[in-house]
Amino acid sequence: MNSFIGRRSLSSGISLIGLIVLIFFLSRLTGDPTGLYLPLDASLEARDNFRVVHGLNDPLIQQFGRYLVDILQFDFGDSIRKARPALDVVLEAFPWTLWLAAVTMICVTIAAIVIGSLAAFNVGGPFDRLSGMLSLAAASAPDFWIAILGIFFFSVYLGWVPTSGTGTLWHWVLPVSVLFIRPFGLILQVVRGSMINALSSAYVKTARAKGVRERSIIFVHALRNAMLPVVTVIGDQAAGMLNGAVVVETIFGFPGIGKLMIDSILQRDFAVVLAAIMVTALAIFLMNLLIDLLYAVLDPRIRY
Amino acid sequence: MSAAVSSAYAAGEHDVRIVLNEELDVVEPCMAARSNVGRVILQNVNETLTEFDAQQGGLKPRLATAWEQVNESTWRFKLREGVKFHNGEALDANDVKFSLERTADKSMICEVGVKYFGGTEMTINVIDDQTLEVMTSPAQPILPLLFSTVPIVPDSTPRNEFTRAPVGTGPYSFAQWNVGQNIVLERNGNYWGEQPVVDTATYLFRSDSAVAAAMVQTGEADIVPNIAVQDATNKDTDFSYPNSETARLRIDVQISPLDDRRVREALNLAIDRQALRGSILSADVIPATQLVVPTTSGYNKDLQVWPYDPERARALLAAAKADGVPVDAEIKMIGRTNVYPNATEVMEALMAMLQDAGFNASLQMYDVAEWNGLFIKPFPENRGPTLLQAQHDNAKGDAVFTAYGKYHSQGGQSVLDSVRVDALIGEATAASGDNRTSLWQQLFAEVNDTIIADIPLFHMVGYTRVNPRLSFKPTIATNSELQLSQISFK
Repeated sequence: MNSFIGRRSLSSGISLIGLIVLIFFLSRLTGDPTGLYLPLDASLEARDNFRVVHGLNDPLIQQFGRYLVDILQFDFGDSIRKARPALDVVLEAFPWTLWLAAVTMICVTIAAIVIGSLAAFNVGGPFDRLSGMLSLAAASAPDFWIAILGIFFFSVYLGWVPTSGTGTLWHWVLPVSVLFIRPFGLILQVVRGSMINALSSAYVKTARAKGVRERSIIFVHALRNAMLPVVTVIGDQAAGMLNGAVVVETIFGFPGIGKLMIDSILQRDFAVVLAAIMVTALAIFLMNLLIDLLYAVLDPRIRY
Repeated sequence: MSAAVSSAYAAGEHDVRIVLNEELDVVEPCMAARSNVGRVILQNVNETLTEFDAQQGGLKPRLATAWEQVNESTWRFKLREGVKFHNGEALDANDVKFSLERTADKSMICEVGVKYFGGTEMTINVIDDQTLEVMTSPAQPILPLLFSTVPIVPDSTPRNEFTRAPVGTGPYSFAQWNVGQNIVLERNGNYWGEQPVVDTATYLFRSDSAVAAAMVQTGEADIVPNIAVQDATNKDTDFSYPNSETARLRIDVQISPLDDRRVREALNLAIDRQALRGSILSADVIPATQLVVPTTSGYNKDLQVWPYDPERARALLAAAKADGVPVDAEIKMIGRTNVYPNATEVMEALMAMLQDAGFNASLQMYDVAEWNGLFIKPFPENRGPTLLQAQHDNAKGDAVFTAYGKYHSQGGQSVLDSVRVDALIGEATAASGDNRTSLWQQLFAEVNDTIIADIPLFHMVGYTRVNPRLSFKPTIATNSELQLSQISFK
């Protein structure tokens, strides 16, 4: 297993370096941030001075070399926008996204597994049809629309939850609910399909013949074997969320990494963009590794 | 459940919550020329020596009680006595000297310094604790007005870096900054002036206008200074206010066929300004004749709004064509997304109007970073004839904040190269009193009527939503500052 982790780390490290090169040069192709940070009537001297202070007047390759040397010392540069170290800015935002993703994915996983399993148990029944309809609608509804609708119905009309922001558990209800919908629809379908296969397999028939209770058959015998594809989809969805739930974070004023990344890209705050990409890439790598290791737990035939 | 929810945004009777559409990245007082920083800091936490009276015009004393011109290049300021900073230090002339020098320090790259003191050298002499003299090169006839932009900080503030805990003399002290979530100001019990009624102010950040507006509706917030026109649907809580912005299209006057005055006149005559009011734009916008708002010293009220006359526009184009002007050349309209609400729709409508009048107009919309590259010198070569969508804010009461950058041949965004315009700007900048006003008026007549350098569109309005429990009316200054001391409760 150690050699598996080592190989995965090495290949991810190489990908990360490729990513740094790509993002560094691509981001600088998008234009000079000077005009965004100085007033429109700033003098040419002030503009030159700004470029010198932020190291933007050096040749690109020199800027890149300096950047590589700095990140080896864990110095990710300063945010132009916030006038402080970029890594601090990113590490402040990332836990918000991490928690948002974790809470949402836990809710999604529990709900999708329970409902998907029950739907698979009675294929074609009313419950199955209802869940099929729900999942299709959920997977196709745009986030911003659901979010605004949710705010107007649950906050403005009913007054049940705050519209947006942070501070109490109530503030999490709407953002988690909106984020919940899309992965729920998708994972529900995968659970259902996988469970239908599992429930029609020989070992389930044997268990039934032996008189094992239906609840045990579904949630103990069939579920474990049906989980492999489900874990893969959960991993994909969770990785997407770690990248930042941009729309949800923006609408609900959640200070997460998705909103930070979008703002930093629009403001050409290169140091923050790069630091944010590296932190999320690392988190996604760790999560994928965890999922791979989980395969071995779920299916003893898998060995690394 | 609703009790639990309402406790989530419970506030004291005299506490207010203000929703800004942009998160604050910095809270440095010398960055207060940025509207989002200014709205929190300016006059609430950090005060200025003088204050521009946005309603009556003219200057009011703030931390300076009096000022006089000693000679052409020197001004003397007398400071208010008994003023203390939030950290307990007494305000004296050394703090003012420190603040002015720090703001203009080139290594700090302060927005206030770059914007208002870019080409000005200042020498500051402290006469005594309450008196200082400021000598400038070149002479600044409006130095007291310029000082209405410089927030004063104690000389214990970090010299070469942005502070994250601003200290000032204002009626509110900077109490908390929960990055990404909120900023809290608390009333300063030792304030030198009248005590305001608001106890604490919490600033929240929501970029979505519909959500921000909904927050006032649910009681989660009290004021949203800036909501989109389509969200301003409740006449009891939503107020429009002139936001000191003027929208225009800049005509690239040196490039053919736009170098022909008849073509520029035809462009203006082709625009149906009335059609945009109350449809894509608010019904409250005012058709503009020049780039400054009517409260600005130097505004020329004799200039007339261009009538909508597509027939005459076509006749002018035909006459120009007969003289060999290539009026069929493609004119690129360059827009900036979100420069104001419905900016894209406005440009699409303008393009259709120009095409109706016989222009070969096309439209490209850019985000602000790319648009800047086309708006500010050096302009791209081979750019062809362009009309560039822009909006200009001058709430400071003097045309100097407009004229140089926009119209002087050396101005950073100017496409003009006119000896007469340069001379007028030079004379007006150095003049004072009625002579100054008259020179600025001549300048706007020259630029807008004689040359026709722009397609002036509208003096714009902003919309604010105010919780009915508050007494607060937005003014033209609300775009750049929001004084908590002007808020009371019903």
